[in-house]
Amino acid sequence: MTYRCLLQMVLLLCFSTTALSMNYSLLRFQQRRSDMVCQKLLRQLPSTPQHCLEVRMDFQVPEEMKQAQQFQKEDAVLVIYEMLQQIFSILTRDFSSTGWSETVIEDLLVELQGQMVHLEPIQKEIMQRKNFTTGDMTIPHLKKYYINLGQYLKSMEYNSSAWTVVRAEMFKNFSFLKRLTGYLRD
Amino acid sequence: MVGTLIPQEVSSIGENHFSLIYIFPPMRFRNLQSILSWELKNHSVVPTHYTLWYTIMSKPEDMKVVKDCINITRSFCDLTHVWVNTTDMYVSRVVGFREKAELVSCMGSFFLESDRPLDPPEFEIVSFTNHISVNVKFQSVDPRILNEEELQFYLAFIEEHEGNSVKRHQPQITGNITENFNYVIDKLIPNTNYCVSVYFEPKDPRKINRSPLKCTLFQPRRESESSESATIGGIITLFLITAVFISTVMILKRIGYICLRNDFPKVLNFRKLSVWVFPELPPLEKVATVEVIHINRKKKVWNYNYDDESDVENEAAPCVNSGGYTKHGLMGRLCPASTTSASLEDCSDHSAEEPYLPEPKGDAETPMAPGPGPWQSEGTSGGYQTRGTLQQDPTSEEDSDSTERSEGRIVFNVNLNSVCVRALEDDKDSEVTLMSPSRPEETVVLEDLNETESSLLVASEERTQLPFTDPSMECLRPQDAPSDQSDTSESDVDMGDGYIVRQVNLKKFN
Repeated sequence: MTYRCLLQMVLLLCFSTTALSMNYSLLRFQQRRSDMVCQKLLRQLPSTPQHCLEVRMDFQVPEEMKQAQQFQKEDAVLVIYEMLQQIFSILTRDFSSTGWSETVIEDLLVELQGQMVHLEPIQKEIMQRKNFTTGDMTIPHLKKYYINLGQYLKSMEYNSSAWTVVRAEMFKNFSFLKRLTGYLRD
Repeated sequence: MVGTLIPQEVSSIGENHFSLIYIFPPMRFRNLQSILSWELKNHSVVPTHYTLWYTIMSKPEDMKVVKDCINITRSFCDLTHVWVNTTDMYVSRVVGFREKAELVSCMGSFFLESDRPLDPPEFEIVSFTNHISVNVKFQSVDPRILNEEELQFYLAFIEEHEGNSVKRHQPQITGNITENFNYVIDKLIPNTNYCVSVYFEPKDPRKINRSPLKCTLFQPRRESESSESATIGGIITLFLITAVFISTVMILKRIGYICLRNDFPKVLNFRKLSVWVFPELPPLEKVATVEVIHINRKKKVWNYNYDDESDVENEAAPCVNSGGYTKHGLMGRLCPASTTSASLEDCSDHSAEEPYLPEPKGDAETPMAPGPGPWQSEGTSGGYQTRGTLQQDPTSEEDSDSTERSEGRIVFNVNLNSVCVRALEDDKDSEVTLMSPSRPEETVVLEDLNETESSLLVASEERTQLPFTDPSMECLRPQDAPSDQSDTSESDVDMGDGYIVRQVNLKKFN
């Protein structure tokens, strides 16, 4: 009886590994496409950064985002998922003073949500294993970074210049997401 | 061809408006060059020099001046080594001065990674008989700018330029494009020049970076004609070469340079192995060697036989036929069949050893009895040599034919003019050998001479002559001849080699 269960568990692990490997390729394709769409949508949001030079702020971007760092695919999944959640949270705040199109913002939110749906099964499975290493410090750093962004917008009363500065940070975030997507390989 | 990036916002000071353009050099140089250029829309007031500043949005830093772009007169600035972080948003400012007064100012923001337009890929066009094939090389796109997965989100367009009209083709790119992509443009007009351009267009509307035009003249008819003419020319050339070759072979065969006939005689046919292994001996020819042995007779004929006994015994008894010719019988004897009738020396040894043939035979060796010097002459008959001795044989007298052979005897008439007399060394007294050259026989009738002295005329037209094969040779008389020879010894001239000049008076009877 035990041996029968053991055989079934081995087969399940093999198939799950194969399924996961196949999903990473699909995830990479989906994430790459999502990143490009989000960048294009951001470009559709009008802004004048040269007029908001006085309200610029250093949000303490994590060093992992600045430097070219190697990530394992499981860690990349966790980081990507965390960033998507945080950006989604930022963009759901008050942007009425910016004059941005709500359609564009909604499209951004839909894109972010759809990508999180694709990542969630794998993200939960990885969380259950708890085998990641580099993600231990990266995600806390990211959380602090996004807290700073939220507090900045709140302090600036969500004016257009603040949103212009945050918009510039979104471009940096999606560039980092694009680099992390490259680690989703079999 | 360079790509340009129009800043999102441009603000200017003064009435003149700036147009700030960020130029991206072609990626074929495989280096991320960043060149920012600007141009004036209103040329009423033109600055004399410009200065460029920049800053980033992620940090509250002051504007920094670009060292290489201070008070420059050109309208562009290379920022390749200045704007190195492609994930930051840069804000630039260009100020135009005239002397020291600031005339114009322009600012713009650029996010290089996402705002950079895609450079067109490399491509090749090939013109066929009824279509033009465009081969786009996607691997020429720098993966740092656009990887294979992002390529799918950019539309690739192929423009077809025919004169002033432009037709745009949008190929369907399905799946991952990693290497080359081939697109066919058909329904073309013959003898028309077509130019093709390929570029990427992002899905959101932006300025397109088109590739340079590549043109080809679509000439399907001429191409087919040229191909047909080339084929016809090749066939004609091949036919001419074949004809020349065949005619050359025929000429050589006709003149006999090749394919010679081997109509050799059978004796020259060496192909048969049996011939080499067992060579067939040629059929023996009957060669008769005849030695005319002069038998000195005392009284009648030669009158120079100084040996009485030998004269008596050996003296040739001429046989007078009805025509007045003297016959002499020959004693046949075999000799090596390698000589003709003209060579007497071949049988000289034999004649020396066996000077006399009492019983001449046609095909067997017959011993020659010593003693009288029989006539000896050589003749050839059949395939063997026989040596006959002209004997004073009464039986020979009965023969009427000159060359009759009966019962082993060969009888023939001897033309003394055509023979040479030679005295054999062994035959001391009487034997004299005659050489019979190959001359038609002239019968000589030997007349009884009462003269004691006889002389042989070597060469005389009036008298009977003894022609010699060798003019230097003369009929000789044996040196060991007895005293009878001494009568003529005075006239004898030793020619050496056993030959003695002897003069014999002969008369020729008709």
